[in-house]
Amino acid sequence: MSARLPPPRAADLPALIRAESARLAAACTACGACVGACPMVPALPAVAAAAPEAVAAGLRAVLRGEAQAAPEEAVAWIGACTRSGLCTAACPERLDAAFLMRLAGMRLRGALGAQEEGGPPRLPAREDPGWSARVKAFARMTLTEEEQARWL
Amino acid sequence: MALTSPPPGPGAAPDRVVFWFGCNVARHGEIVRLATRLLEAVGVAADPAGGPAYCCGSPKEANARIAGAMARRTVEAFNAAGRDTVVTWCPSCHMNMDDFMAPATEAAFAAAHISEVLHARRDRLAPLLRHPVAVRRALPHLHHGFNGRVPVNTLVPDLLRLIPGLEVVDHPCRAPGHMCSALAGVPGALAAAQRALLAAAEETGADALVTLFHSCHRETVALERGRPGLRVVNWIHLLAEAMGLPFQDDYKTWRNAPDPRQAVGPARLAAAGETAFERLVEPELRRPPPV
Repeated sequence: MSARLPPPRAADLPALIRAESARLAAACTACGACVGACPMVPALPAVAAAAPEAVAAGLRAVLRGEAQAAPEEAVAWIGACTRSGLCTAACPERLDAAFLMRLAGMRLRGALGAQEEGGPPRLPAREDPGWSARVKAFARMTLTEEEQARWL
Repeated sequence: MALTSPPPGPGAAPDRVVFWFGCNVARHGEIVRLATRLLEAVGVAADPAGGPAYCCGSPKEANARIAGAMARRTVEAFNAAGRDTVVTWCPSCHMNMDDFMAPATEAAFAAAHISEVLHARRDRLAPLLRHPVAVRRALPHLHHGFNGRVPVNTLVPDLLRLIPGLEVVDHPCRAPGHMCSALAGVPGALAAAQRALLAAAEETGADALVTLFHSCHRETVALERGRPGLRVVNWIHLLAEAMGLPFQDDYKTWRNAPDPRQAVGPARLAAAGETAFERLVEPELRRPPPV
């Protein structure tokens, strides 16, 4: 690829999440093909036991702004997403299902706030409070002072 | 000039790019350094940029307002750099640029993954790979994820096959996720992926596991423990070794040392700072391996 990245389609990240959630929720048929293709499902017994269509419907509900109504199995599945992307290849509607999962994960972790989602986050944030300090500590150990000054 | 198209002829001015290496690869400074040298060798002058100041926003994804502001700051910094292209290293950063960063902030550049750039210019790279490497049969450590965006599972093995005398084996083993850090959050998932990787190495007779990404490298280096016939090396290390570029994989040395604190040594410990080392670095280096 060589062309510049496409122009923005939203004013900011919250607006992008809202717009893309609505667009993808409208296109998703909750057929469950994404659930069936997911390599993480075998590690999630409750999800494996649930009907794929019901789990996918829960994913769609999150994107519709109905996170509080999504079944536990759907929440667990979204929370275990490791971004394999096999869901995208499996989607008969040719949706970027991996992106859909990412949006849902952000919303379940409270990206748009409790008021907009109608309740508290249903997944814990994956934030590492020491992340920035840890990266900088390692950088001081592996980069010269000049490299740190120029690169970081 | 399209960085992923065939390169201009010898003597042409180098393309100048930003090399966006991300944040967690700061554990492996030599990878940033060597990747920059490899880009230079194929006619791409790269200005490295990374760390929290160039964050993609994903560490704060539970708050879209904050994540978006961090991402916007990074895009604007790249716009101000005035380069046509940002060459990425980290698959998370690359996907975030496509999915969340550029769609919310005007980006005055193209983005390409380093594997795409080196692969497009492999005719320049190949003659430079003249030195023997201390690996006979290499098994690339591949994931399902990211390959749908950038075909790294083909590009990187192709590049490794340019190294004379090195056999790069094919195996259907693919770990879930886009890199190993994604697996670490799901109980048992990382251990299962590592057991599958070791089984694939045994089946293929590989004497080296070749990681593609930094988080895989830091999770995989401990597999060398108790396995004297197995080497864990990143693909950038292997290309650099074939070019005769000197380097030391310090992270692996520290992670596999009986006493990481002693292996790090007083100078680097002082650079990190005693408190930061004790609280942030040492627990990671002493963490038991998943398998």
